[in-house]
Amino acid sequence: MSDSDARGKIYDARMMRRLWGYIRPHRMLVSASLVLLFAVSGAQLVQPYLIKRVIDDQIAAGRMDGLGYLALLFLAALLAEFVLRFAQIYVLEQTGQNVVFDLRNESFAHLQRLPSSFFDRNPVGRLMTRLTSDVEALHELFTSGVVMILADLVKLVGIVAILLWMDWRLALVTFTVIPPTLILTWFFRARMRETYRHVRAMLTKLNIELQENVSGMRIVQLFAREREMAESFGETNREHEQAQLRGVRYDSIFSALAELIGSVTLAAIVWAGGWGILEGWVTFGTLVAFIEYAAKFFRPVQELSQRYTVMQAAMAAGERIFDLLDTPVTIRSAAAPTPIHGRLKGEIVFDGVTFGYDPDQPVLHDVSFRIAPGERVGIVGWTGSGKSTLIRLLVRLYDIQAGRILVDGVDIREYELAELRRSIGVVLQDHFLFAGTVENNISLGDSRVTREQVRAAAEAVHVHRLIERLPGGYDENVRERGSNFSTGEKQLFAFARAIAFDPAVLVLDEATASVDPETERRIQQALTTVLSGRTSILIAHRLATVRDADRILVLHHGRLIEQGPHEALLDRPDGIYATLYTLQSA
Amino acid sequence: MRAAVSSRFWEFARPYAPSYALGLLMLLATNGLSLWIPWLLRDAIERLEEGSPLAEIARLALAMAGIAILQALIRTASRLQILGNSRKIAHDVRRRFFAHLLRLDAPFYDVNRTGDVMSRGVNDIRLVQAFFGPAVLNLLNTSIVYVAAVALLLSIDPLLTVVSLTIYPPLMLAVNRASRRVYARSLAVQEQLATISNRAQENISGIQQVKTYVQEEREIAAFRELCAEFRRRNMSMAALRGVMLSLIGIVTGVGTLVVLYVGGRFVISGRIGFGDFVAFNAYLGLLVWPTIAFGWIINTFQRGLGAMERLDEVLVAVPRIDSGFDADGKQETVAEPLAGHAIEIRDLTFTYPGAAAREPALKNLNLKIPGGSRLAVVGPVGSGKSTLASLLARVYDVPSGSITIGGKDLRDLPVRAWRRSLGYVPQEPFMFSRSLRRNVTFGDPDAEAAAIDRAVERAQLLKDLDQFPDGIETVVGERGFTLSGGQRQRATLARAIVVQPSLLILDDALSSLDADTERSVMRGLDELMRKRTAIFITHRPSTLTEMERIVVLDDGRIVEEGSHEELLALGGTYARIFERQKLRQDLEDR
Repeated sequence: MSDSDARGKIYDARMMRRLWGYIRPHRMLVSASLVLLFAVSGAQLVQPYLIKRVIDDQIAAGRMDGLGYLALLFLAALLAEFVLRFAQIYVLEQTGQNVVFDLRNESFAHLQRLPSSFFDRNPVGRLMTRLTSDVEALHELFTSGVVMILADLVKLVGIVAILLWMDWRLALVTFTVIPPTLILTWFFRARMRETYRHVRAMLTKLNIELQENVSGMRIVQLFAREREMAESFGETNREHEQAQLRGVRYDSIFSALAELIGSVTLAAIVWAGGWGILEGWVTFGTLVAFIEYAAKFFRPVQELSQRYTVMQAAMAAGERIFDLLDTPVTIRSAAAPTPIHGRLKGEIVFDGVTFGYDPDQPVLHDVSFRIAPGERVGIVGWTGSGKSTLIRLLVRLYDIQAGRILVDGVDIREYELAELRRSIGVVLQDHFLFAGTVENNISLGDSRVTREQVRAAAEAVHVHRLIERLPGGYDENVRERGSNFSTGEKQLFAFARAIAFDPAVLVLDEATASVDPETERRIQQALTTVLSGRTSILIAHRLATVRDADRILVLHHGRLIEQGPHEALLDRPDGIYATLYTLQSA
Repeated sequence: MRAAVSSRFWEFARPYAPSYALGLLMLLATNGLSLWIPWLLRDAIERLEEGSPLAEIARLALAMAGIAILQALIRTASRLQILGNSRKIAHDVRRRFFAHLLRLDAPFYDVNRTGDVMSRGVNDIRLVQAFFGPAVLNLLNTSIVYVAAVALLLSIDPLLTVVSLTIYPPLMLAVNRASRRVYARSLAVQEQLATISNRAQENISGIQQVKTYVQEEREIAAFRELCAEFRRRNMSMAALRGVMLSLIGIVTGVGTLVVLYVGGRFVISGRIGFGDFVAFNAYLGLLVWPTIAFGWIINTFQRGLGAMERLDEVLVAVPRIDSGFDADGKQETVAEPLAGHAIEIRDLTFTYPGAAAREPALKNLNLKIPGGSRLAVVGPVGSGKSTLASLLARVYDVPSGSITIGGKDLRDLPVRAWRRSLGYVPQEPFMFSRSLRRNVTFGDPDAEAAAIDRAVERAQLLKDLDQFPDGIETVVGERGFTLSGGQRQRATLARAIVVQPSLLILDDALSSLDADTERSVMRGLDELMRKRTAIFITHRPSTLTEMERIVVLDDGRIVEEGSHEELLALGGTYARIFERQKLRQDLEDR
């Protein structure tokens, strides 16, 4: 069963209080909606009364003088109902939309603050569900949940009061149909709910089986298992059909029953009302008005139980959203952070750093090194050696489990998080472009970076002319995930972005994706510009990129096992670096 | 196409034609009864005006109740017939669709992606069900009610009928127009929701970049803007929906207003009776919902038609390779095992079907694989290794005579019998959402426990079983326990071993295994493969050294062929690949 099928408690005081926190700011709208609700019911319920007046005062009396006036009143009631109902729907929707708007934004904002490890544990799909379907389900709470239940109740109470006021004896006779209606409705709705839940579960099973067979069709056919698959699918298909037929059965009975109750009520009113007319305590107008009111009576009774299902789903969704909002933010700035004045010097120290995405399985073991200001360091290693993890730790995407990381002699946990990240220029492996313009992607919308600086940065990495040639130049929009730019172009943009901020430390995770030789040449050219005049760390997948580094660190299985300049490392024929080098030049 | 589609509808509806006919009869009956009730109301009011005794009125009230009960019974039965048919037809369509999918071959699945096939199997069948059920039911019901109610209205007073019915068409048009535009705006809302969800997905998948570049606030602001647009679109839809619902809300009232004003005058002037007046109002009320439903009915029929067209596209697709499977047909006989039979490939050139201009994936291939031998296929990405494997399994068809098994043309062997003598381990390990046991015995559900144990042991899966919550009974796959890549590969290997194949094909199927496990797997296979033929697509040095023969493919051609030692001595492509892989393995082992 999918998330949305889970049952929530229909009423949960803690949750309601919490929800109220979101509704409170819009309480004027809520009140307006409630007032409108009463008004709509009023305009609706006055109509049968006007019919009674026409019949009793005009038709029965054989006069026509007041007919036009009463018809006008009836028309006015209709128009009022039309306008008020529209206003009520609109205002209620506005309330719901506002609340949902706030909740969705808050959830998204909270997600931005959660640590990377949270995203490792939660698949993208699940988080998307929170932001979309769950929020939408909660929205239902407004459009067809609480307020509509209130609306139904108001209408019911109104009808009961009017009927009692018009004629209590006839009213009592009419009310006798309420208990069986309630019982039958409840009985059938409960069963229908169960049946539909079952139908949905069976359908999900059926569709999973279909999906699995379609995507695994080659295996099915290569193992010649078509018959077994057809039989298994046939079984599920049959079960689904049976569940569907059960649903049809309840549905057919219930809808016929609703009609039956209406007709029986009519018969009861005719009988009792007839009696009253013959004895003189009921007028024809009252009789007809009763028939009209009774017709309006059953819809709300039947709908009440349907609203129950909506409430359940909304409550379950709300619970999941609040769970997300309650997830603690574990990586945050120090309470009294050490400020970074101007540019960093650029000294980096890893001191006995041990870290694992799963604390029980470290990917870095006791790694220590110091990078001097202005030094150019390359980091190499086989896939899975922990190279890229080093960067993630340096900008605190994850916090380490043992040891210290110092920047300019200060533990990185002492800095303000955003300031630390801004001070270290990072070019990550997968070149991500943000939605917005090209210029925005270089300046990152930071007002301290001027247009001139953006252009200078672009020129430095030789991408200025390319940008100028775009139809929109620097204002060209970046499509979803930067799909309108090639990998090489994206990498150059990332370089420009890194140097536009002129960081004291630049960390570069070299992309593994292959680019054409021309772009490759440009990237190499750009790299020289990018690296000069700052501390730089190069995570290299191609060893050619780090040959010129002052020093190369070699990681293997999460340990730092060799370091030194290119030539020195090559001199150790059994060394990891030498092996990697042979592998790459082969 | 249209003619084909309508015959498709008929094909599925035919078995249920009598039931539909019965349903129609019952609809006529139940509506006849329900239209009788207002008439009785009219009688009752006339009696009351005449001052008849209460017993008379009670008799009429009782008749109303009795008719109502009868009406409800027949109504239930009619719905059961017609709606039930639609569920049964959906079941039949689904069965046909699935059975046909099982017959369709690789060229079909190359062109039609899983998502597309799923959308037909899920959404389109649902639409077809709505066509055969609610749409048919409401069409019949609406037509009956319409004809009968209008006739009754006319019989009461033609002029009043004309006057009150003229109010309806413009109202209905307004409702229909509003609902069409609501639909358009709800599409706009859905679109924006999709935009929001894409944006969120982009953000979440790139969350590390967002954090590294300190872009949280900008992302939040951008997201907020999308949400604001979403709210705006929702409100614009709510405005229209509000108009539509409010209109529907007053439709009945408008009819009553006309009856009150005009009908009231008629009663006072003596043109119609008071009972007529009440009955007229009741009949008019019966017309409201059918009229509103009419737009929906047409819409549902149209969408059902489109859906059946899309289903038909799949149902008319013809597989190039007839696997001999027929859901309704007889079980085929399993052919004798083909152990020891030599495979011969003669001048095989193969181009993937579909794109005509494409280059052949295999060119003039000649190869003899003696029965019971072991062959490795080596070569760079895209050199045609997997193609060769899939052709041997007859996933695609080859020219006659280009592949022979024991001297017989592969095309003349019964497809399923041949496949049953194969053990195929694909590159991408595919597991079904069922227990590990059922995954392993997939090819032979009747395998004995000892055979299963042996296969699990040979595939080096035995020690992993302890880690799974229910051992070999653990449900795995999409909706079950998640296995690692290596575990999945070993499970698919066990699946291939269980069938005791005479030809085992491993398509780079051990890539996720570490070197030690891989060596153990090879040792496990050793004994098993003594009398069987095996083809390994692999670059693993430890596997390559165990092979009797190795062919090197490049760009669809065999460029080198021989034993491991011969090829190493040759110092060509193979030697280069092998040295690289050896270094790689050494590095990993360190």
